[in-house]
Order: sequence, then structure tokens, then C-alpha cells
Amino acid sequence: MSRPGDDSGGGTPARRWALVVVALLGVALVVMPFAFDMFGKTPKGAVMIAGFKPYMTEARLNGYQAELRQIDAGVRQTETTVAPVLTGGGGSSNFADRYPDFASFDHQWPAIDVKMTGLMNEVQGNLGNYLAVAALPSFRLFPWFFVLPGVLIAGCAVGALVRLSRWQRFRWVLVALGIGLIAAPGIFQMFQRAPDGGHMMTAFKDIETVTNVEQIQGYFGSMAVGQGAIRLEIVPALERTGLSRAEIAARFPAVATLDADWVHILNDMTPMIGAMSDNVANYQAIASLPPFPLFPWFFVLPGALVVGLVFAGGLSRKSVLAPAPEQPVALGPLPARQGAL
Amino acid sequence: MIRRLVAVCALASSAFVVRGAAAAGPVSAASGGRHALVGTFKLQPGACFGGFVTGTYFRMIFPNGSVAKGEFFQNPDSTCPNKTFTLAVPGLQGGLVTGRYQPDPTPAFNAKGGALADGIVRPQGFTAIDFSIATNRTDPQTGLRVPPPSVSVANGKLSGQVEAWSAAWNKLHFNQGSPKPNGSHPGLTAPITGTYNAKTRAFVLTWTSQVVGGPFNGFTGYWHLAGVFVPAK
Repeated sequence: MSRPGDDSGGGTPARRWALVVVALLGVALVVMPFAFDMFGKTPKGAVMIAGFKPYMTEARLNGYQAELRQIDAGVRQTETTVAPVLTGGGGSSNFADRYPDFASFDHQWPAIDVKMTGLMNEVQGNLGNYLAVAALPSFRLFPWFFVLPGVLIAGCAVGALVRLSRWQRFRWVLVALGIGLIAAPGIFQMFQRAPDGGHMMTAFKDIETVTNVEQIQGYFGSMAVGQGAIRLEIVPALERTGLSRAEIAARFPAVATLDADWVHILNDMTPMIGAMSDNVANYQAIASLPPFPLFPWFFVLPGALVVGLVFAGGLSRKSVLAPAPEQPVALGPLPARQGAL
Repeated sequence: MIRRLVAVCALASSAFVVRGAAAAGPVSAASGGRHALVGTFKLQPGACFGGFVTGTYFRMIFPNGSVAKGEFFQNPDSTCPNKTFTLAVPGLQGGLVTGRYQPDPTPAFNAKGGALADGIVRPQGFTAIDFSIATNRTDPQTGLRVPPPSVSVANGKLSGQVEAWSAAWNKLHFNQGSPKPNGSHPGLTAPITGTYNAKTRAFVLTWTSQVVGGPFNGFTGYWHLAGVFVPAK
């Protein structure tokens, strides 16, 4: 029942309906980050992005590729050129018998090389995608991009439902919030960057797994053993043949380079393995969120709906204040100041 | 021949340590039959004799492995024929000191990433880069405050905690304590155990600690410390 002077109620049925939907949209925006556990997961994404930052540069990734080529060249040269010198042409089985640690590594190396080079190609191929994601606002803020507009939208809609007179004040706020939601993905270039992030997440799917990290850790162990054999057994054996360090470097440059650069390779590669290992759980957390390419639409669609519903509810003062002809009283009292108009 | 010489020297030095320690004073505070051993666990250097390994050493177990069966990481720089054993040489302070910290120096690493701490053990080569041990008030890997190591004995059995035990290698720190700095025992991490001979003060102290985080995440360090306890004055 309406009473004179009572300005509560949502106005026309269409407006009330529109306001209820707008309020629900606001609530949905607030609920969504909790439903997807964004507060728990997106900070892990921020940690992952930061964790890979030191390694995700063209120079650093080129360096890893060069180091893999160095190892490959050193292994090949040991196998093909050094072995005959140390065995006096006694054949590869003789060499393997004398240097079993190297032989074991030599046997494993082709598979390791294929895997590691492929992995590096995959990572390097996604450098642009990584940089696109890293250029987005911090992942830690993402839940708040939903919660804050959601609270404001729901608050304005409920406020207008409770007191019709507030509709005039809130309608433009709602329109502004809706437009803000629509514009946000454009401002942050999410339509370009989110699909890039999606590509990166797909590419990292087989990289950021416990199994893969453990396999790489195993490769690291094999490489350490193989290089140790070159450094501690094969190069000293060459020296015992009467060759000086300089002569070894001249005759077997790939072996000498690998020997000289091994510590640098370890310095370079080990932290990268650490970053991969440390971010498995972080990756899994982000991967369990909805696909990245959908995220811009999580802003645009609610924004468009809010704007549309505000228009559907009536923007003009006249339409705001005019009672619905079919049910002027039953669906809500008119504002008290209507009589003054 | 050189290895034999090293082994003989190691045995001789440990025997010297044993005799020296036996002359030292009694053990510290007692509580319900359990005595806290406050002082220095002087380390006997690690040594290999054929298939046997004595003294102080370290092994690293691959993820999903076990203490009994491995698989163990091979350290090419090991002086043992079995390169899964990395032998330790006592540091300038003789070994593990309980009741206080033996922190990393500043800087903790040289330009190549080799660890510089030399109080507990001398830096040892591990895949071409030196690693070493320290105990710090704040664990450098986790950033958590940890108590100084403490070991006690009851009926000849050792127990205690070495939460602060931290390995440094390649400009990285790996907590290798038990329990871990948050008090947990993840994976193969097991409490310290060991034996103590009150007469000779000879001890053997062992524990395992799983690496949590970093490039060796999931690996487990097996620590075997042996030598003679010298109480604090």
C-alpha cells in the first residue's frame, strides 16, 4: 500500500525488474571471485609471473639455447674426436669401458637434448605471451576488479529499489559503473593480452608439472655426471698424453669450452629449474581458473547488462517518476514530491 | 695410493680427536635422565675404504627415492669410488656447535657461486661448485626464525633438532634441517637420531631432510655426522 509522502519502492514494474537484475549482477560480481577462489589463486599467479621474470628475456633465453648447444658440441667432440685420441683408435666400446660415467651420459644425451631444446623453444616461443600477461595489472588485484564494482552496483540498485527518489542519483552512477566495466578490458588491452596469456598457459601445461620438473632434475643429475667425467677424467687423461691446456683448447675447442663454461651454465640453469619447480603449484592454481580469453567478457557482459538494464528501467526524470499505467499503486508507491510536480 | 693416504690421515685425525675429547669435562644440564649436550660435535672427516664409508658424509636422494634404496645423486667431485657419498672435512670450528649459531659469512658465496662458510665443514665440491653448511638465526631459504641446534642424550641415544642446518651452493640456500623451520617433517624428513658413548664421547648423528623448493625440490639430504663431542667450557 502506498502512503502520501512515501518514496520507497522501485517505480514501474519494468524498473523494479531491471533494478533487481542489476542488483543480482552486482552480487554475482562480488560472489564470482569467491566462487572461483580467486583470492587464493590469483596471488599465486602473481608469484609465478614474478618468479619467471628474471629468466623471461630474449637474452637469457638465447643464453640457455647457446648453453645447450655448448653441451651438445662438447659431448659430440668427446665422442668423435677425443675418444680416438685416448683409446689410440681402440674404438668406442674401449672408450666406454674406460669412461663409463661419460658413456652413460653420452647415451642419455640425445634424449635430454631433444627434451631440453624443445622445452626452451616452447618457453622462448611464449616470451611475447608472457610479457603480455606480465603487462596486465597485478594478478593480486583481479578479484577486487570484480568485488568493488559489484558492491557499488548492488548497492546502487538496492538503494534505488528501497527509495525510488534515489534512482535519479544512482542511475548515472550505474551507467558509469557499467561503462567502466565495459571499458576496463579495453584500457588494459585485455582482449589482446588475455588470449596471449591463454596461449602461454596452454604451452606451459606440459612444462609446469611435477613429472616434467622431476625429469629435468634427473637430466641435471645426468649432465652433472657427464660433465664431471669430462672435467675430472677425460681432460686430465688428455693432459697425461702430453697435451697442454692450450693445446687441448686448440684441438678440442668444444670440450674446452664446455669445461670452462660449466660453472656458468650451472649458475644460469639451476635457478631456472628452481623457478620451474617452485611454480608448479602456482601454475596449477591459475590453470584451474576459467580460461584467460574469457576474462575480458567477465567485465564487458555485466557492464553492458547494467547499462542496458538502466536504460530499460528508464533514464529520464519523467519516466522515472511516471507511474506505470497498468498498476500504479500496487507495485510501489510514488515519491512524495510527485504531487508537487 | 693418494686415497689410501687420505683415509689413513682421516683415521689418525679422528683418533686424535677422540683422545682429546675424552679428556674434556662432563656433559651439561640434565632433565629427567635426558642430558643436553651443549658444546661442539667435533666431526670425524669422511673417508672411504673400498665399499665402506666412515666419518661424516652426505648423500642426496632423488625424489620418490628412499634412504635404503636411493636413487642417489652422483657427485662427480666426490673423492669416494662410490660418488653418491660426498665426504665432509671438519671446518675451522671443528664441527657442529649446539646452543648457538654458526652463521654464513658475508658474502656467503664467491663469484662462481661457491659457498664460503667454513665453520662446521670446509666447503666441498659438488658438481664443480663448492657447497657448505651453516646455522643461521634466520633460515636463509625460508626466511623463518629458527632455534640454534640442540642435541640431548638419554641412555646412549641422541635426539634433538637441527632446524637451522642450511646448505649453501651455487648462490642458493637449501634448508636441510630436521624438523624443517616450520616444525614439519615433509617427505623423507626424519628426526635426528644417533648414539653417544658417554665414556669416549664418540657420537654418530644422522637425519634426513627433504628439500622444499628450488631446483632440488623433492630431493632428500641424508646426513651422517660422526666424531667426538666436546662440551662447552
